[in-house]
Amino acid sequence: MTKKENLLKGFVKENPLFVSVLGMCPSLAVTTSLENAIGMGIGVFFVLVLSNLLISLIMSNPKLAALVKPVRIPVYIVVIATLVTIVEMVMHAYLYDLYKSLGVFIPLIVVNCIILGRAEAFASSNKPIDATLDGVGMALGFTGALVIISIFREFLGAGSITVWGDLSLNLGFIFDFLGIEPIAMFVQPVGAFLSFGLILAALTAIGNKRIEKAALNGVKANG
Amino acid sequence: MHIQLGEVINMNNGLKSGLVLLVLGIICGTLLAVVNSLTALDIQKNEEAAQFAALEEFYNIDDYDLSVVEVNDDVDSIFVLRSKTDNSIEALGYLVSGKGYSDVLLQMMILIEKDFTVKGYSVVSHSESTGFGVDILENDFGVSIITDLSGFDSVAGVTRTSEGIQECFYIVSQRVTGDFGGDLDD
Repeated sequence: MTKKENLLKGFVKENPLFVSVLGMCPSLAVTTSLENAIGMGIGVFFVLVLSNLLISLIMSNPKLAALVKPVRIPVYIVVIATLVTIVEMVMHAYLYDLYKSLGVFIPLIVVNCIILGRAEAFASSNKPIDATLDGVGMALGFTGALVIISIFREFLGAGSITVWGDLSLNLGFIFDFLGIEPIAMFVQPVGAFLSFGLILAALTAIGNKRIEKAALNGVKANG
Repeated sequence: MHIQLGEVINMNNGLKSGLVLLVLGIICGTLLAVVNSLTALDIQKNEEAAQFAALEEFYNIDDYDLSVVEVNDDVDSIFVLRSKTDNSIEALGYLVSGKGYSDVLLQMMILIEKDFTVKGYSVVSHSESTGFGVDILENDFGVSIITDLSGFDSVAGVTRTSEGIQECFYIVSQRVTGDFGGDLDD
């Protein structure tokens, strides 16, 4: 796998949320606004990239790897928990509103399946540069997925999109034009599952269409 | 009892792995201590700002002589609002913590007038989950006189969080009479 493929696979092909369906719990909980999604994305980016790099550095040294192997899961957890705690302290100090808004889901990044999964499945058996690129791609793919879900939910549920802090887009005029109210259910927990299901169904339909088209093109090319 | 050479080597390997984990823990702990020393002051400022914001929701603090009493008890601190004319206590703001969902602390500001009526209350910090868990924190729990908690209105479905809030009210109710009666001056 080339470095470019390694970086890009997390965007669509192996998207952690829409393809692997990992890290669902915080994803559905925090996507009530775009700001939350971006904040969670930044936190996961920092943790995933650095944990992949550090774990790959540890495991790429054969002598160290032999010692770490029997206790590798505790080692991964110590590394990930340290990075998450740093994210939590920095957010608490400099992004207080976001810290309050994300609440318990910041420390829960420690047990996010994506991070531990990439550490065990990829970073532990690949070179540091590849592990870092994998982390960047997966984190951006995860953030992109959160952004899509949050825009969908916030637009339909509140009629606005909170980009960051006081910066928000008021799209209430669309609902005014249609003569309906925003559907508040979409910013409630039930809306999270419904939104995720609808987006997943749409993406699967697009994927199936592409496969169908490619197959038809193949048949035509072969006569 | 014979211990084979291979077992001794395996034991040593296990010990070495444990030591690697210990060293990693020490490095991580040191790193966290450094980050903590850099952020602690800003975190404290944010917390204090949130406490004053909770107080200012109900009182214009410029109209009072405000002092903060640190209490080494169930109450974290007490904001004492005194009259500027006769220095009598007009109201008390209790910053108090209770155990909410999963034993995680939630911190409340509860404001009591000198006739024991509850001027207002708000949750300053918490670790409840977003959505319903947070929404109920803004609920009206039906407490109007702090010395009478019989009307406390718990919320079904979020019993643990309600219990945490009830605990905060209970702690305040146990000491409020003494605090207005002069205990704070001692």
